[in-house]
Amino acid sequence: MRDFEIKDVKFSKKPISIPVDYRPMYKIAQIVMILSITCIGNKSSLLKLHLLSWALKDDKNKDEVLELIKKNYDTDIAVWGIEPALNRALLFCISENICTLENGKYLLTKKGEDFFKIILKAEVFKEEFEFLNFIGKKKITDNRIESISKKWSLFNVKN
Amino acid sequence: MLKINKIKFDVNTDSGLFGSNYEFSSGLNIIRADNTSGKSSLFQAISYCLGFEEIIGGRNEKTMQSVFRDQVEYPKDSFHKVIQSFVYLEIENSKNDIVTIKRSVLSNSDRKPQLVDVYFGKLINNTDDVLPEYKPMYIHDKGGATDEMYGFHLFLENFLDWNLPNVLTNSGDSRKLYIQQIASSFMIEQKSGWSDFFATMPHFGLANKEARAIEFILKLDVTENKKRKQQIVFNKKIIEDKWATLNNQFIRLAEKGGGKIVGIEQKPTIINDYRGLNIFLTKDEEEYSISNYIDLQIEELRLTEKKTIFSVGQNISTDEAQLEKLNNFINQLSLNYELLSNELNFDKDRLRSYKSQLSLLKIDLGKNKGALKVKNLGAEFDLKTSNEVCPTCNQDIKDSLLPLEVEQIPMRLEDNIDFIDAQIKMIVVYIEGQEKTINEKEKKIDLYRAKLSESRSNVRQLKKELISDERLPSIIEIENRLNLKKRIEFYKKFLEDFNQLIEDLKDLSEQWKKIVISETKLPKNFFSKSDDDKLKFLENQFKILLKEFNYTSQQNEFIHISRENYLPVISKPFGEETKDYSIRFDSSGSDFIRCIWAYTFSLLDTSIKFDGNHPKLIMMDEPKQQDAAIENFHTFLKRISFHVKSQILIFASFENSDEAFKTATKDVEFNLVYIEDKLIKPIE
Repeated sequence: MRDFEIKDVKFSKKPISIPVDYRPMYKIAQIVMILSITCIGNKSSLLKLHLLSWALKDDKNKDEVLELIKKNYDTDIAVWGIEPALNRALLFCISENICTLENGKYLLTKKGEDFFKIILKAEVFKEEFEFLNFIGKKKITDNRIESISKKWSLFNVKN
Repeated sequence: MLKINKIKFDVNTDSGLFGSNYEFSSGLNIIRADNTSGKSSLFQAISYCLGFEEIIGGRNEKTMQSVFRDQVEYPKDSFHKVIQSFVYLEIENSKNDIVTIKRSVLSNSDRKPQLVDVYFGKLINNTDDVLPEYKPMYIHDKGGATDEMYGFHLFLENFLDWNLPNVLTNSGDSRKLYIQQIASSFMIEQKSGWSDFFATMPHFGLANKEARAIEFILKLDVTENKKRKQQIVFNKKIIEDKWATLNNQFIRLAEKGGGKIVGIEQKPTIINDYRGLNIFLTKDEEEYSISNYIDLQIEELRLTEKKTIFSVGQNISTDEAQLEKLNNFINQLSLNYELLSNELNFDKDRLRSYKSQLSLLKIDLGKNKGALKVKNLGAEFDLKTSNEVCPTCNQDIKDSLLPLEVEQIPMRLEDNIDFIDAQIKMIVVYIEGQEKTINEKEKKIDLYRAKLSESRSNVRQLKKELISDERLPSIIEIENRLNLKKRIEFYKKFLEDFNQLIEDLKDLSEQWKKIVISETKLPKNFFSKSDDDKLKFLENQFKILLKEFNYTSQQNEFIHISRENYLPVISKPFGEETKDYSIRFDSSGSDFIRCIWAYTFSLLDTSIKFDGNHPKLIMMDEPKQQDAAIENFHTFLKRISFHVKSQILIFASFENSDEAFKTATKDVEFNLVYIEDKLIKPIE
């Protein structure tokens, strides 16, 4: 048995697989797509960006948002996720001059528009495009989102 | 055979009728005309009437010269405006049928140039009171014509007794070889016709079109052989499909009888002995072939029939023992059934979860691939984030949006994609395995269920018997006999079905044998023996003519006819191999003209010798190109004047000199067609 005695154990850190949602370029592309496809004047509030980015995460979330639109915002939507990763990606976007912050809203710049054209040409993100194109510019507006969030705080937040 | 008999021009101008008509005979015709007198117009008009104007480049009236469309100049510097013009062409085939084609160039009614009238008889210089019947037909497209109208080229094809083959286009469809494409092999036009072999052949999306035209003219079997090969491949595929279906039928039949099939071949083969193929049926853990199994059952029936049927009372003790045995068996089996069906549910659940994992992974893969593509594009777009550098502080961001406190190194995006790919492959293997186990377990459960219900019905019978009148004969015994009889019936029918399938298999195997035989009969490179003879003759004849015409650019032994496109090539040793060079680039300008002379006529010679499809018509506009010496031109004319049974139209200006004409045609038999003055001149 002595032959098999273990003298020492070493651990080395291996790179880990991370969800694509944590890839900066994926998130930046997502922001550009949301602003270009679903926002009037390519301009949006932070809350709306979070809502749509959350919807794009999986089919269940998409269905929930679609349901909300179908029922004309009458259902109580379970609260949607706010992820720090999106905020970080937004910081990158501003720093890259892909969008700017104007009166608390994110506005796509000329450079951002050009980047959107590149994404279009690359013919990627089929499902994302399908969903966002369905949403379009008119179905979800900042005002709507604000009222939902107000309603939610009214019922769920004490004080 | 296509023979041009006569041509006639009717050109109406604002100052009266202009025109002319000419006759041609068999053998060599020399159309002599000074330059600018309308020699090429005559050539073009013949091809226009036949609907071959595409070899001049273009379609319809655009290819005709201005003398038919705009104005006639006659005499010099005096112009007359054209108001209507028609061309008439009389042609004859090998059966001496004569038709006259009428096609307009300029029409003052709405007549489109796509329209031709075909008169079934002579029209030019016809003095009869009644003109022959005619039928309107269309050329190229149905453009200005109605649907009931007949395609002129289809008519021409039948008139020439041709049967144009179907060819494969670049886009992969099969369609007929166009008649205009054949035309460029025997009509050589002045402007671009002398730049290459078949230089004016319209393309029509056909690869290696020259080769297809020559295969048709020389009636090479290679086309047919290639087509047959395609057919064989197609038929093989059909048999393979049928074979697979038949295999399934065997498997299903075996399942129906509760046996297992042995000795089937997965792929079609020639089967000589069918005894290896059988269905094995199990009885008391021994395997029997169908007929042996039937014998066994018959024997059992015979034995039971010998026994007298006991009454219920006599049978009580055996019945009770039997009942207990059966009950034990059922208990055991139900337990197994229960366990297995639990397992099965569990397995199905797992399969569902694998499948949903797979679809999630696929979506994830799509997103990652998209991210990678966008990342690469972003680098070109000069985004710092694409290069994994923070756009604000230029620090390494390791391609992740995780907070800095998380000290994990993420995989590179490329590696992440490979990682997901590997996961997908693994899940696919899991799913396949899982589906297989589920399938096996389902079969087993079905078997359990069948056995259970059989045993239960036996129990019912026994119980019923035990409570019935003791004096009655035993139902079980009777039932047993009936069952045996039924089973024997069933398996007799089963054997019949099996034999029927064997017959089908024999049939299929026989078909397969025939196809394999016909496949081995096809020559390896698709050239038949007679193809080889024809091509050798063509090569020889080409070399002989080249020598006669005084071709000097290349040595005779290097000249070959390519087996790829049947055009002449120079084959020279290059290291250990030989390499083919285009004869066009390796010959001087005037020598290449000699090549076209020689090749055009050796095609005719070969077709005549082997009874090919050549129309036995050759038209050449100004064959004396590139300063070919007048002596060589003379040899050429002398040589081709021997073709008295074909028709050759040579259009030449003889340098506008009588001297040259005399030298070139010395001792040559020919019919002179002299365009004096102008082709289009006033008619009194």
